[in-house]
Amino acid sequence: MLHHNNQQTGHRELPPTPAVGSAGSGAATSQPALLAEGVSRSWGDLPVLIDISLQVASGEIYGLVGPDGAGKTTLIRILVSLLLADSGRVLLHGHDTRLERQYVRRHVGYMPQRFSLYPDLTVEQNLRFFGDLYAVSREEQLERCNRLYRFSHLAEFRQRRAGHLSGGMKQKLALSCVLMHAPEVILLDEPTVGVDPVSRRELWDILHELRQEGTAILVSTPYMEEAEQCDRVGLINAGKFLAEDTPEQLVANLQVRILRLRTTDPWATWQRLLEAGLGLQVQLFGEGIHLTLAADENQVEVEARLRQAGISFQQLYPVKPGMEDLFLARLQQVEAVSSEVITDV
Amino acid sequence: MRRVFYLVQKEFRQIRREKAYIAIIFLMPFVQLVILGYAITTDVRNVGVVVVDQDHSRYSRAILASLETGETFQLLGTVPTERAARRLLDRGKAVVAVIVPHGFGQNLLRGEQPALQLLLDGVDGNSSGVALGYLQGLLAGLQLEWVREVPELARQIQSIHLIVPEPRLWYNENLVSVNHIVPGILAVLLTMITLFLTAMNIVREREIGTMEQLQVTPIRGWELILGKVLPFVLLGFLLLNVGILAVQLIFAIPMQGSLLLLYLMSLLFMLSTLGLGILISTLAHTQQQAMFIAWFFSIFTILLSGFFIPIENMPDVIQYLTYSNPLRYFMTVIRAIYQKGSELPVLLDEVAGMALIAGITISTAVIRLRKRNV
Repeated sequence: MLHHNNQQTGHRELPPTPAVGSAGSGAATSQPALLAEGVSRSWGDLPVLIDISLQVASGEIYGLVGPDGAGKTTLIRILVSLLLADSGRVLLHGHDTRLERQYVRRHVGYMPQRFSLYPDLTVEQNLRFFGDLYAVSREEQLERCNRLYRFSHLAEFRQRRAGHLSGGMKQKLALSCVLMHAPEVILLDEPTVGVDPVSRRELWDILHELRQEGTAILVSTPYMEEAEQCDRVGLINAGKFLAEDTPEQLVANLQVRILRLRTTDPWATWQRLLEAGLGLQVQLFGEGIHLTLAADENQVEVEARLRQAGISFQQLYPVKPGMEDLFLARLQQVEAVSSEVITDV
Repeated sequence: MRRVFYLVQKEFRQIRREKAYIAIIFLMPFVQLVILGYAITTDVRNVGVVVVDQDHSRYSRAILASLETGETFQLLGTVPTERAARRLLDRGKAVVAVIVPHGFGQNLLRGEQPALQLLLDGVDGNSSGVALGYLQGLLAGLQLEWVREVPELARQIQSIHLIVPEPRLWYNENLVSVNHIVPGILAVLLTMITLFLTAMNIVREREIGTMEQLQVTPIRGWELILGKVLPFVLLGFLLLNVGILAVQLIFAIPMQGSLLLLYLMSLLFMLSTLGLGILISTLAHTQQQAMFIAWFFSIFTILLSGFFIPIENMPDVIQYLTYSNPLRYFMTVIRAIYQKGSELPVLLDEVAGMALIAGITISTAVIRLRKRNV
């Protein structure tokens, strides 16, 4: 225990150090900070996670991206050993979380989806309390508080009760509490949901800074655009990974071409496109309607089909596929495969 | 161990923020003791009596006169007929009607059976039972005086040797029920605060999600439980002392036994109710549920403690049930220490009972909290 405290106090407060080695497990630098192998879990008869494997290295931000109900929270709860997996194992710097729960507790920071601090304690009292629980010395707490205040801009609210903070400030305080014991691995469950754009940016800035210092970070989000902030991304849906890679590579690997269609009334046009049944994959986005082209289709041909169906539009132009296009395309591929399987039977 | 201290410190920071706690601890004992202490009384006083005097002898007048003295009865007057007396009973004006029939005095002197009718309102069975007892004693006393005046009867009495009981009331010489009730109220107060506050507090942590946050810190299960039990034991002691002070100030009831013994017993008792409180918290998902379950338990705890109703009066099955009630033991203990000045050796059964319940509830709570963890 003493040994780990030394690690925390020794390395971790230094200005940005190269990622490798700072997480401190000494010998095995190639060892991932967090490793999950074949994790499955069901609630009753309902499988929530099916054979999930992933790893997060020190100094890496891993994004767990998927819609509500995909199993993100269940997976994170298993990773922090709040929940047991039915099968598979989770290693933290090589320590099995099932067997060495205290090790996990000391070295992991977990920020749950819902704000869960003491609303009747002040910002500072909350920070201090979590520092105390991890046996962080008083002087060090002071130092860390000040540093976290710089990050979070909460200094002027230090005497305010946590319950009286705005949504964004609450999340920043929650993250600060998680960071009081300078954990080597942090897991954040949808930290940016319900947070204003400014606070959201600040939260991501904090995460990037932590990555610089060598922290291994796993963050879940339902927002596809946030995936681009991560070093690597796992796309998860219905308890299974659809794909896993760097955001750039994921998009690059995707052999789809997207046409964006702009109209004055996107929603009505989208409805008509669905009704017309042109055999196109159609998705409604804020900027317009995305049409996914099949391999043998091209823009000219699609334009002709649209005119034939009497659908008017202002503009039709190719765009680079984004994370959301990627997710939806992957999802459709998976569904196509599974329906083939069903028809085979 | 340091972590337990931080948990307790946090708990007190939160308690200080909550004005309701302060009111509960410092005002509730005074208010409840004053109101309940005077209201809950088993003394039977001012029982309304109406007399139908059909005899008009000096004997019937003696009965009237003795009903007028003392605090037990309040003589409402005489009415001419039994029907009039019944009407008063029906309307709830009188609780007892004494009907002295014509020839009552004559029969008495002749040594014949002197009959006398008593009508009682039995709605409050306990009070009318007590009133009946008083009346019978009163009449028996009068008869003894009267027969002595008749030489022949007096001789007969001499030869019979009636039983002359000589009662000496110990511990509560004047049978003042306040002395009995007030320590009981103290015990009930202590039950309520420990049971409700612990159950609600832990469920609240679960509701706001901090319980899960605590579970990912290095805190161990027993530290968490200790961190919850200690603040409420301290609060309980604070309440107990305020209560003891209130008893002294308001009722001037002296504590016959040792204060230290009462402290030790209270600690043991609080451990058993705190254990029950934690157990309730593992059954409930919301504070409302915790409240309902705590109510359910506390009603049984209080009714089956011997606070109002002597346990010996209960059916056998219920009597066995009371052995699982920690308040049953503490009720005995606090009354014994207050009124009899009992020492530890005579209270060992109660110590064993409370220790057993504390052990069972706390260990079950720990096991259930662990299970939730997974």
